[in-house]
This record gives sequence, structure tokens and C-alpha cells, in this order.
Amino acid sequence: MKPARGYSRTALILHWFVAVSTFFLFISSWWMLGLPLASAEFRFREIPFQLHKNLGMTLVAAIIVMIYVRFKHRPQPELSAILPPRMSKLATVDHVVLYALIFACCVSGYLSSSYSGWGTTLWWLVDLPNWGHENEELNILYSDIHLWTCWLLLAVVAVHISGVVYHAFRNDGVVRRMLHL
Amino acid sequence: MDTAEAPGWASRLGVIAILLGVLLAAWHANEWMKLGIVGTPPYSLATMPEADCEQDELEEEGVSLEECRQLAYVVHDISISAPGWFKNFHIAVSVAGTALALLSVFAGIALVDYRHWAATAAVSVFGALAILDMVSFTAVVNTGPLIRQMYLWSILLWFFIHLAMTVGAIVGCEEQQAVQRRAGT
Repeated sequence: MKPARGYSRTALILHWFVAVSTFFLFISSWWMLGLPLASAEFRFREIPFQLHKNLGMTLVAAIIVMIYVRFKHRPQPELSAILPPRMSKLATVDHVVLYALIFACCVSGYLSSSYSGWGTTLWWLVDLPNWGHENEELNILYSDIHLWTCWLLLAVVAVHISGVVYHAFRNDGVVRRMLHL
Repeated sequence: MDTAEAPGWASRLGVIAILLGVLLAAWHANEWMKLGIVGTPPYSLATMPEADCEQDELEEEGVSLEECRQLAYVVHDISISAPGWFKNFHIAVSVAGTALALLSVFAGIALVDYRHWAATAAVSVFGALAILDMVSFTAVVNTGPLIRQMYLWSILLWFFIHLAMTVGAIVGCEEQQAVQRRAGT
């Protein structure tokens, strides 16, 4: 049986924006941390770090809009209608954890930067407020949270992708909810 | 509506194309940024200032003093090993690669959605990516050893992946045509 249309076009566009941006943030962060530490002479880190922070904050906004769109236009058919209850629950948990980790990863990165003394200018246009004065302990605390939530995010993304490949190989119509034109 | 229930091969190849397309788009976009930033450092190795490696920064970054000093040299790896044409060429390849990778995501979605044109589009896009890998590989072979060790293996890996995907899409096209012929007789 051919499944009904799944997620809305807005949800689709946001999903793929979040997917490409997330991988870009991982790959670019591994590269940019190999650049010389910032100083008056060494300014290589400026653009990639600003871009990293900008994209991260944009991802937070995208996730919020995505959750809103997801609940406003519920994709049909519901997963519970096409999957056994155990798998349906697993998929729900995977999505909730994924959203929570993207949110935690991005916000902790912003807070770490905020307490580091380095400012954040959103897309080189708007100066975002710092949450407090420079504080090395809080900077390190949020930096650690950023690091570990991001590693955890990568692990959950791997689970998410495994699920996608599983359903694609079964060809059971689940992936078509997110993969339609 | 020109979609039908996707056969197994289209669903599997489509999802693999999407997954790899997302990863490749991120990789090429990073290359684009990388070359823009360290492709031409503002000073040569001879005039390079001393790296600023304060103890608290080292602890925060989790790097040793030796690593911190070495980081200042690493940004020169591309510029000292690249011929004059490489920076602009590699940026152009990365821009084209990002666009083609995003197109392969689109082609993958079309395969899963099983549009009648999806298999032909997939052959074109995956084939174009394989050709781009070949061009890029040939260019990198003609640079210095620092760039070759940085890029050759990953480009070769992507080339074989795109080659396999192109052949898979060609076989899918043939299967689709056979089904259409059987339906017509």
C-alpha cells in the first residue's frame, strides 16, 4: 500500500538544513581546533569560530521552528499506525533525545563562549549578549558540557541513521514520510 | 502525480545517496572554508611570528606546548606544498562538489519517492560526482607531498563510492526499463 504524504515541506527543508549543518559543524570544529591559538598575530580562528557559533545559534532556532511545525502539521500516517508499538516508541525516544542534544550542545557552546570573554555577533550583524562577566570556571564547565553533549549527539545521530537505513532496506514506507518531493 | 511505490533498489540506493550526500556537502563546504582561510597565510615561515602559548590557554585547549607551537606551522602545509593554481582550483572544485552533493541528496529523495525521472537523474548526478573526483584526484597528484597525503586517499575513497553508486543507478535504470517493457507487452 502506498503511504500518504508524510512531513510538511517546511519540516523537510528544516530537517535537511539541520542535517547538513550538524555535520558541517562537526567536521569544521575538528579542523578549526587545529588552527593556531588566537593572538594579536594569529587571527586564523576568527572567521571559523564566528561561523561555528552563528550556525549553532541558527540551529537552535531551526529546531524550535521544526518542533512547532511537527506538532502543527502531524505527519500522516502516524508511526504507531505502521510500526509495532516497541519500534514506534523507540523512534519517538530517538527523536526527543536528538532534539534535546542538539539544543543542549548549541546552548552550552554559546554559554561557554559567553563566559570566555569572546563576544558572539550573530551573522556579523547583531551582538548577542554575554550571560556574565568573563569566568574561567564557568567557561570550562560549559565547554565540557558542549564537548560531551556533542559526542553523545554524534552517537545518537548514528542510531538515527541506522534506523533510516533499516527502514529503507525493509522498504516499509517509513522513510518516505521524510523523503518525498 | 508521477510517483509509484519505490522498488527495493530505489529505496536503498536513495537513502545511501542521501546519507553520503549530506556528509559530502559538509566535507566540501569545510574545504571551501579551509582554503579560503589558510590557502594563503599572511606571512611566510621565515617571517612567522612566535606562537602565543600561554599556560592557561594550553590547559583550556588540552594541548601541550609543543603542539601549540606546531599548530602555527601547520597552517602553512597547503601554501608551501601547492602550486599557484591550486587554491582557486580547489575552491572551485569544493563549490561544485557542495552543489553536486546537495543535488545527490535531492536525487536520493527522488529515488525514495520513486519519480519516473529519478533513476536518470541519479545516474547523471552520481556520474558527475565521480568525474569531479577524478579531476580532483588528477589535480592533487600534481601538487606536493603534504597536500597529497592530506587529500589523495579520501578522494580515491569517494571516487569508488560514487562509481559504485553510478553503476547501481544504471542497473536500476535498466530494471525500470525492463519493468516498463513487460508492462507494455
